Amino acid sequence: MTTGPYSATVRGLFADLEHAGDFEGATLARIDDQGVRIQLAAGHENGLLRTLRFRAWGCPHLLAACEAFCAEYEGRPASDLGDFTVTEILRNLSIPVEKTGRILVLEDAVRSLGRSICDGSVPQVS
Amino acid sequence: MTDDIVYLDFAASTPVDERVADYMRECRELSYGNPSSNHAAGRRSRALIDMAAAELGALLNVDPDTLVWTSGATESDNLAIAGAARHRAHRGKHLVTMPTEHKAVTDVCSMLENQGFEVTWLEPDDAGRLDPTVFAAALRPDTQLASIMYINNETGVIQDIEALGHLCRDSEVLFHVDAAQAVGKIPIDLGSLPVDLLSLTGHKFYGPKGIGALYIADRPGCHVEPLLFGGGQQRRIRPGTLPAEMIAGLGRAAKIAADRIEDDLEHLASLRELFWGGIREVDGLLVNGEFDAGFPGILNVSVADVEGESLLLSLEPICVATGSACNSQLQEPSYVLRALGRSDLEAQSSIRFSFGRPTRSEDVEYAASRYVTAVQRLRSLAPGTAA
Repeated sequence: MTTGPYSATVRGLFADLEHAGDFEGATLARIDDQGVRIQLAAGHENGLLRTLRFRAWGCPHLLAACEAFCAEYEGRPASDLGDFTVTEILRNLSIPVEKTGRILVLEDAVRSLGRSICDGSVPQVS
Repeated sequence: MTDDIVYLDFAASTPVDERVADYMRECRELSYGNPSSNHAAGRRSRALIDMAAAELGALLNVDPDTLVWTSGATESDNLAIAGAARHRAHRGKHLVTMPTEHKAVTDVCSMLENQGFEVTWLEPDDAGRLDPTVFAAALRPDTQLASIMYINNETGVIQDIEALGHLCRDSEVLFHVDAAQAVGKIPIDLGSLPVDLLSLTGHKFYGPKGIGALYIADRPGCHVEPLLFGGGQQRRIRPGTLPAEMIAGLGRAAKIAADRIEDDLEHLASLRELFWGGIREVDGLLVNGEFDAGFPGILNVSVADVEGESLLLSLEPICVATGSACNSQLQEPSYVLRALGRSDLEAQSSIRFSFGRPTRSEDVEYAASRYVTAVQRLRSLAPGTAA
């Protein structure tokens, strides 16, 4: 069977969305745009992203992109969020160019989360 | 059917019946001659074609000479509509059809519209049915042809072809029916049904792909101009060397269908009931089309708060069709469901389950279980739902 419109990476991530969900105490960054909805939840400690979770309504590429972001950025400095772009995810997941607009919603959500953390609105993990 | 998939997309295409495949293998040995040739090899091919025409003619209750072989329903639709429009242009340039027809009809009507024809696009009701009184009101003295499909390929809605056909006869309007989803699936008696032109294709009823036919009633004024040129075959209506082996396969599929049609319908109805029983408790389900009066081989459902493309991938390895944009070649939500008044989101989340002769109860139970699980999972992932 061919992979059709989805790369093997997308299929693997979509089948096992380990970072789906949210958790008590997290402040949420939430965006509804381009026909998709994304909610990111972060917990950080000493400037590091300890926990990242997402909820999303959208196509498999979007869900896989959210999972890839969370997996990649968990444990990294929160300050990295401000520089996040979806370029690498688009390439690594072989996302069709016509879906770029939807995936860019993730970029907006991540940067919004970064600003919230800088503002101190996301509680520290205790 | 292979073990690694569950195939529930019989409205898109059906597997070739083993008896058809065996017969085609036998015919291959006999059909290398050009059926237009008068030597022995050619006559053998011709005999296979004549046999197939008799078998298909018996299924439809028509004279085999009224059948023109084509490459499939798309060509048949094009030949019927464009061919009749050109033949009857003296009568006027008005056509009647519906936006819920197959693209093989709507696109050729649009093409004629661009060439100066006027097309009246009749809207269906919420269930997808065409009200005969609406149809009657659209017929005019300059209407030369109306084209309405028998069973809708997306929803399974069955139109009242008999009533519509009588209205056409009363108005001397040619009546074309795209019956790609109906031939071999439900009883069709063209001996009594007031239809002038009828399109069909072999691969929708367990015959081979790449072969179809157009029925052209033997009535005064019922004729089509050819779209292809280059030979005298098939009374010049559709020239080209006939593929005897393919035609033989279609004919044999028709013969088998004639014997099985009632049993198949009963089987499909039980499968659809079983499937519906497995999913009906899901909140926010919406049946697209008519459940009770529709063709039992198709069940098209939308579901609220679920993204269609993710739903489709979640269902793999179940093979189904979707109204979602991202998995169609059109890159737009189903125009058929939009014409039924469905929103973009409702159309996006639609899945067409279509059952067939080889479908087993366990296939349907598995698909229903997977559908329910997938809807629950995707809803749990969405923002604003409980963890």
